[in-house]
Amino acid sequence: MRIFWAIVAKELISFLRSWGLLAVVLYAFTLDVYIAGAGMQIRPRNVAVGYVDETGGGISRKILAHLHAPEFVAPKRFLSQKELSHAIFNKEILVGILFDETFAKAYRRGDEAVMNILLDATAVSQSFTTLSYLQNIVMSFNKTAFPVVLKSHKLFNENADNHTFMALSEMLSIITMLSILLPAMVFVKEKEEGTWDIMLLMPVDTRVTILAKSFSQVLIVFFGTILCVGFILFGSFSIPMNGSFSAFLLLTFFYIFTSAGIGLFIAAVSKSILQVAQFSMLVMMPLIFLSGAWTPIHAMHPVLEKLSLISPLRYYIEGSESIFYRGTAWIDLWPYFSGVILLGSILYWYGFRKIGKLF
Amino acid sequence: MRAGVVKAYIIKELTELFRTRLIIIVYLMPSMILLLFGYGIRMEVTHARIVILDHDQSHYSRLLTSKFEDSKYFDPLVTQMPEQEALHLIKQAKAEMLLIIPSSFEKRLLHGQKSEIGLFIDAAFPTRATTMESYVQGVVLQAAAEVSPKRSEKGMITINSRNLFNQAMRDENAMIPGLIGLVLLVAPAILSALLIVKEKERGTIFNFYASPIRKHEFILAKLTPVFLLHSVNIFILFLWATRLFEVPFRGSFALYWFSSELYILISLGIGMLISVVTRSQIAAVVITVIITILPGFLYSGIILPISAMDHESYIEAHLFPVMYYNHILYDAFLIGEGLEAPTNRLYLGILLLYAAVVLVLGTLFLKKELK
Repeated sequence: MRIFWAIVAKELISFLRSWGLLAVVLYAFTLDVYIAGAGMQIRPRNVAVGYVDETGGGISRKILAHLHAPEFVAPKRFLSQKELSHAIFNKEILVGILFDETFAKAYRRGDEAVMNILLDATAVSQSFTTLSYLQNIVMSFNKTAFPVVLKSHKLFNENADNHTFMALSEMLSIITMLSILLPAMVFVKEKEEGTWDIMLLMPVDTRVTILAKSFSQVLIVFFGTILCVGFILFGSFSIPMNGSFSAFLLLTFFYIFTSAGIGLFIAAVSKSILQVAQFSMLVMMPLIFLSGAWTPIHAMHPVLEKLSLISPLRYYIEGSESIFYRGTAWIDLWPYFSGVILLGSILYWYGFRKIGKLF
Repeated sequence: MRAGVVKAYIIKELTELFRTRLIIIVYLMPSMILLLFGYGIRMEVTHARIVILDHDQSHYSRLLTSKFEDSKYFDPLVTQMPEQEALHLIKQAKAEMLLIIPSSFEKRLLHGQKSEIGLFIDAAFPTRATTMESYVQGVVLQAAAEVSPKRSEKGMITINSRNLFNQAMRDENAMIPGLIGLVLLVAPAILSALLIVKEKERGTIFNFYASPIRKHEFILAKLTPVFLLHSVNIFILFLWATRLFEVPFRGSFALYWFSSELYILISLGIGMLISVVTRSQIAAVVITVIITILPGFLYSGIILPISAMDHESYIEAHLFPVMYYNHILYDAFLIGEGLEAPTNRLYLGILLLYAAVVLVLGTLFLKKELK
């Protein structure tokens, strides 16, 4: 046990001494997460609308009056359809509305009045949401006599507030990146310098050495996570905490250990830091972007959705979201805990065999 | 410029890259990421798992539920269970929405009274929640339009929308060019980030200190091999995008090629700058990862356009090259205005300036002697 703590202490000291690394890790856990959360809005915002109005006002004005800040910039008038399309091509305008002469006439006559809309569809999600906004506006004009009302409630996050979500996703991504990279590199650095063979030759159980080395890096990331949750998530964004905080901490600890296992795996197969960098990119990017942090997991290709079952991040993300937002009880969290722990055990079992042997 | 010395250095660098078998990863990584992400990331909501509690079991309520069953956007589960249990399903993340049709639904409808349908959405993933909400609204309204009698004392307004540049609203068209921007930022940077710091850590940098080679020659020799290797990726990625994902290409290939080469140079320059200022390989890798992967994704315009950001993110988006490059890229693929559009000319100019600044800074910070 004394050896274990000696190795942990040595690793921590050498981490603290490289101030550049320390600064980057601190930056990642504080400012980086803050920036991602502060300005990211996936709901439409500042959408530039242009219109051509050949009706002479009236109903078209009323519709345009519904497009206001913060979702829309004040609509800009164009004199002809040509000018409007030109502005859309230059990306100055995202949505163009055409009210032609027949529009107002048909509306007054009681016929179907067609409102033509041009959308810049290079930003698919924004266009979709803008379109549904417009549809809602039009619906309120149409006021059908249909007596069904859809009462919708957004659970756990009433205003569908994106700031906390983006900040949480960013933090989970950062945890993943650092907890893979740091352990992988402390092992390979020793391999590169040749001191790893000496470690293996020493009369210490190699498993203790491996565990102690990864534990030191786990501690670093865990500490960063606590900083981030405390100052950024709770401090700046006041994220809701509907579940138990200790469940989150425990899940985080297991998760960091598991992804340190991925780092161990990368360290086992690579010979130099350059290779670690390349391999971890190869592993990390799919892991981060296809585990459901940034994009919904159930909309993915079925094969990839199955593949994501072996990603520990998938369990961690769903688990964390459940704890923060859904307020899931301890007993219902077992799939996340067992998924993370199971994957972690496999990775360490492989790591012990592969990197813990001299020959 | 002494061509002989530079050539010797380039040959040495190339041999090293080949020997470490890194060459495989140089070509494997960008393609793999493009393929995985191209198939994996979907912004549109499909297969939303909705639990429908039909307390009415009448003609109209079945009409409504059948609308959900026919839609490709929903995977409905029509059952009867206590509401608490259904909420529990949402808490376990086994369902995303809960729709409750009250027991007097049909009766009230036939009497012309208002009846309320309750919808509960799991908003832990906010964008998805908002989109799902509008889909459900759409389905309900569509069903309503079918049963409600036509009335016309005042005209109905309908929307006729045309989607420019991406008529079919294909996710691929919106995603793949952005992914190229991400891949070409991350892959070259991570490769060049270690080029110099590796020598510093191993001590072989003293060869450079002691040799008569100048600083800019050294950097030229270091960057040329990786630059040439990654230039091939421009064509590989282009082929994947147009052939496999069938993204249209409407602009000029020359512009795409030139701006991509420039962008790779910037990316290599960023990596090299990191390599010059750091002292250990670990720090260099961590810095590169942090400042390329997430910003490359967030500020690429894949998940939201830059104009929709505000405050800090808006500023940070303008600090990274990915935004400028992607603008040109989307134009080349989907729009085809090319250099006629003033924004494209401006952004190309910014990229040129960016490349010059990064390379000059790298050369300035590189030291030629031991301090």
